[in-house]
Amino acid sequence: MNALETLLSIEDFAVSAGGVSLIQAFSLEVRRGKLVAVLGVSGCGKTTLLRAIAGLIDADRGAVRLKGRVPEEIGWPVYRRGVAHVEQKPVMLDATVRENLARPFAYRTARTPFPEGRAAELLGKLGLYGIAMDANARDLSGGQQQRVSLARALLIAPDVALLDEPTGSLDEESAARAEDLIRAETRERGMAALVVTHDKTQANRWCDRVINLEGRLAPGNPALRAAHAAEETDA
Amino acid sequence: MPDSGAIVLQYPDLLIAACLVVAAGALSFVMRLRLERRLAVAAVRTTVQLLLVGYVLKWVFSLDRAYAVAGAALLMAAFASRAAVRRPTRTFSGATGRAFLTLVFSGFLTTLTVTGVIVGVQPWHKAQYVIPLLGMVLGNGLTGLSLCMDHILETLSERRDEVEMELALGATRWEAARGPLSEGIRRGMIPVINMMTVVGIVSLPGMMTGQILQGADPLDAVKYQIVVMFMLSAGTGLASILMALLIYRRLFNPRHQLRAELIRKRRGPL
Repeated sequence: MNALETLLSIEDFAVSAGGVSLIQAFSLEVRRGKLVAVLGVSGCGKTTLLRAIAGLIDADRGAVRLKGRVPEEIGWPVYRRGVAHVEQKPVMLDATVRENLARPFAYRTARTPFPEGRAAELLGKLGLYGIAMDANARDLSGGQQQRVSLARALLIAPDVALLDEPTGSLDEESAARAEDLIRAETRERGMAALVVTHDKTQANRWCDRVINLEGRLAPGNPALRAAHAAEETDA
Repeated sequence: MPDSGAIVLQYPDLLIAACLVVAAGALSFVMRLRLERRLAVAAVRTTVQLLLVGYVLKWVFSLDRAYAVAGAALLMAAFASRAAVRRPTRTFSGATGRAFLTLVFSGFLTTLTVTGVIVGVQPWHKAQYVIPLLGMVLGNGLTGLSLCMDHILETLSERRDEVEMELALGATRWEAARGPLSEGIRRGMIPVINMMTVVGIVSLPGMMTGQILQGADPLDAVKYQIVVMFMLSAGTGLASILMALLIYRRLFNPRHQLRAELIRKRRGPL
């Protein structure tokens, strides 16, 4: 395992939403074993940026590479399995917890069968000891769903985890467990993680590197306009 | 088909039949259902539309030319496709064109298989057979198509996050779309399967009734009806599957992204 290996490189990215340019000229290299936080105010386009990096939507310009290869070369589904994206709001299928966790192992991109033992281990580390695997995942609380969602992504052993406010709906103790688990995955498995958050304290405490989006916001970004308006009011 | 024994209706007979609608309207008035106006408009539309169709068919039949039959058939498919995409609560740009292609392919293939191979109509474009049978296939096909489209678009809009979650964890576009597509096709097929299940028990189908009224032997009429039912199930199944695949190709791009922004709610009354 080459500790200096660049797992994910993002080159000159620009994203927009609804025809409004949000972020421009965003470049970043995420190395093996590193936790990188992308910090920005609410509504500045962090989620859009992460979705574009995951390839769920198109970026206006720029390129991404996973271990030096563009998604077109390895295939988008293989790329996405390598950069597992976890939404801020957990998405559970109308199925049992086990079926939710096992789902990615039914895809053509899966290389191994569903590792049920590892799933239980991950859930345990997230504080979900003894959770009923046969319960409908939608009956779980928001915090529990967020942890199952995180476990589901880590279970497929991605090279990079793209995490959108991963502890947003967790209590302090559960958030600490989630942070520890992700940190352990980076140390033990060499996974890298790109975390978007608005929580500066968490970013500085938890991550190896913090990128502030402030200088990368497009001139028409509504968050920038709102900030200017607030400044003028203060003056 | 024998036509002996049929009693030909005159226009005054239609007026007498209209009394039945007037009676229904009177009942509506007495019971304050406020359906009189809608009933009257519907009755007038029925009369005008069917008389127009009657004259057009008479003209097409008299021409007895392949181009005339093809023209009428394409026109029917165009109307059917327009009606099909107006029923679902959601639509997407290019839906009418895709519905037209679907109905032309499924309608023409099943109808011409029946007229050309099973019935052995000579010449193959004989309007007397092709037009009514195609009309039935298109009518059922448009119902199946619109139910299928409605479910798929509804699911891809309402459950977009689930589809994208699957894509985000390495599903191919086909793996992410397969559930909504299969369920859409199933829903499109259900009415025709239900119809096949109860045909003859709950009601006698219109075509069979028509043949019997025209003096045909009931068993001969039944044989036609069985062929028609099989034709309708094949046509509806084909229409649902084709439309599902065309929606899939439109809404999932080669980068395995769901283009949910192409789906929009239809404006105006259904």
